[in-house]
Amino acid sequence: MSALRLISNRTSQHALSNSDYTWEYEYYEYGPVSFEGLKAHKYSIVIGFWVGLAVFVIFMFFVLTLLTKTGAPHQDNAEPSEKRFRMNSFVADLGRPLESERVFSRQIAEESQSLFHFCINEVEHLDKAKQSQKGPDLEGTIRFQEGPRNSGMFEEDLNYLTKFNIPNFVNTEQNSSLGEDDFLISEPPIILESKSVTHSSHRILD
Amino acid sequence: MLTLAPLRLLREPWNASEGNQSNATAGAAGAWCQGLDIPNELFLTLGLVSLVENLLVVAAVMKNRNLHSPTYYFICCLAISDMLVSISNLAEMLVMLLLEHGLLAFRASTIRHMDVAIDVLICSSVVSSLSFLGVIAVDRYITIFYALRYHSIMTLQRAVVTMVSVWLASTVSSVVFITCYQNNTIILFLISFFLFMLVLMLVLYIHMFALARHHLHSISSQQKQPSVHRSSSLKGAVTLTILLGVFFVCWGPFFFHLILIVTCPTNPFCTCFFSYFNLFLILIICNSVIDPLIYAFRSQELRQTLREVMLCSW
Repeated sequence: MSALRLISNRTSQHALSNSDYTWEYEYYEYGPVSFEGLKAHKYSIVIGFWVGLAVFVIFMFFVLTLLTKTGAPHQDNAEPSEKRFRMNSFVADLGRPLESERVFSRQIAEESQSLFHFCINEVEHLDKAKQSQKGPDLEGTIRFQEGPRNSGMFEEDLNYLTKFNIPNFVNTEQNSSLGEDDFLISEPPIILESKSVTHSSHRILD
Repeated sequence: MLTLAPLRLLREPWNASEGNQSNATAGAAGAWCQGLDIPNELFLTLGLVSLVENLLVVAAVMKNRNLHSPTYYFICCLAISDMLVSISNLAEMLVMLLLEHGLLAFRASTIRHMDVAIDVLICSSVVSSLSFLGVIAVDRYITIFYALRYHSIMTLQRAVVTMVSVWLASTVSSVVFITCYQNNTIILFLISFFLFMLVLMLVLYIHMFALARHHLHSISSQQKQPSVHRSSSLKGAVTLTILLGVFFVCWGPFFFHLILIVTCPTNPFCTCFFSYFNLFLILIICNSVIDPLIYAFRSQELRQTLREVMLCSW
């Protein structure tokens, strides 16, 4: 067995023979690099990198918080009647099964489903606390609903949605005819409100 | 030295040609960059913490039948990759410590094979960890933007195919990388892979955040509760900053190191950056420690299952 010279990872370089294979973790050989005549500080790239990384992360955070702030003061000034009108027409759109509006309403329904999915955790807790007995079909649909739920990225942020009651939105979705995705659309109303659970269950079972 | 280990080549790229044994300190002993001395205990502690955390995540996902869905399978695979990252780094450190203290004695060829094997494991776990971060971002994107069709897009079969192909691709590519490590194109490929994942995650998460903010706007305009809207948006911004910030801080330095190796291997400024290589490895292990906290343990269900797992076993 050839003698192996092992270099500890604290000290500087040692002379090595050509037949040795040494496996070091830290090994600094100073090679042909010379540090003569440097104009800038030798740690400039190191410092520049870390400062740049920190500045970038902080900048990203401020951009994101600014995104949250824009629109919020504008929202206070907007007329509530105008918003209500927009919401009503939007709700009416969902009821009409025209081809182009079907696509539009499907998109809107898809987007809204995503938010409702985030509340599943919180609402399930509420449901389990309030109702001890549930039909087997409901269990199945609720469990099915857990699939697309993401792993809690926004669940704490949007948990206030569980307290909302948006009956127009919910009922119109139940009435809209969107083909193969029907049974998916009718599920969130089950999750959102404990009162509407029993009401909606009849729709599914029928 | 007969052959250089690939990781060592990353540390001193000016020594790329074999036989270049010039121990020329050239009297510049005071001018070289000292770098950072990472104690072995820190490596050991971080590696063990990461191992335990990721094992708990895997156990929790396997135990709870509610978590048998593609989303949680991807989180479980991320936990397995992080576990392999910490195991392989720990293995390298332990073997080197044992060799150093003379407790293990092998032939030179055996040591070289062990070195190559452990480096392949490190490289494949790093590549698969990055890939699963991107896959989780894509999965969350599909959950939000294609919510109604999620179950038809992300079937269990497709999820399994995705996981198997990611593992296969990372293993094969790391074997190729480690066996021909002297080629600069390998490093360029790794850098471009990292940049692709970075851009993918940035775009997907910011688009998701923009949609969530848009929905908060429309809903809060109905309910007239702007203060709640603002605090929730702020929480969303904090979550996103943590997700992306941890990604940048933990992976960025290592890949910047690779960029500098390709662009300026003999520049004295770049050499000072190379001297911090161990810190960059520590940051990658830190990423394995932090990933379960920001991905897996954000889910209520998984936290509950984790509590059950820990109470049952203790």
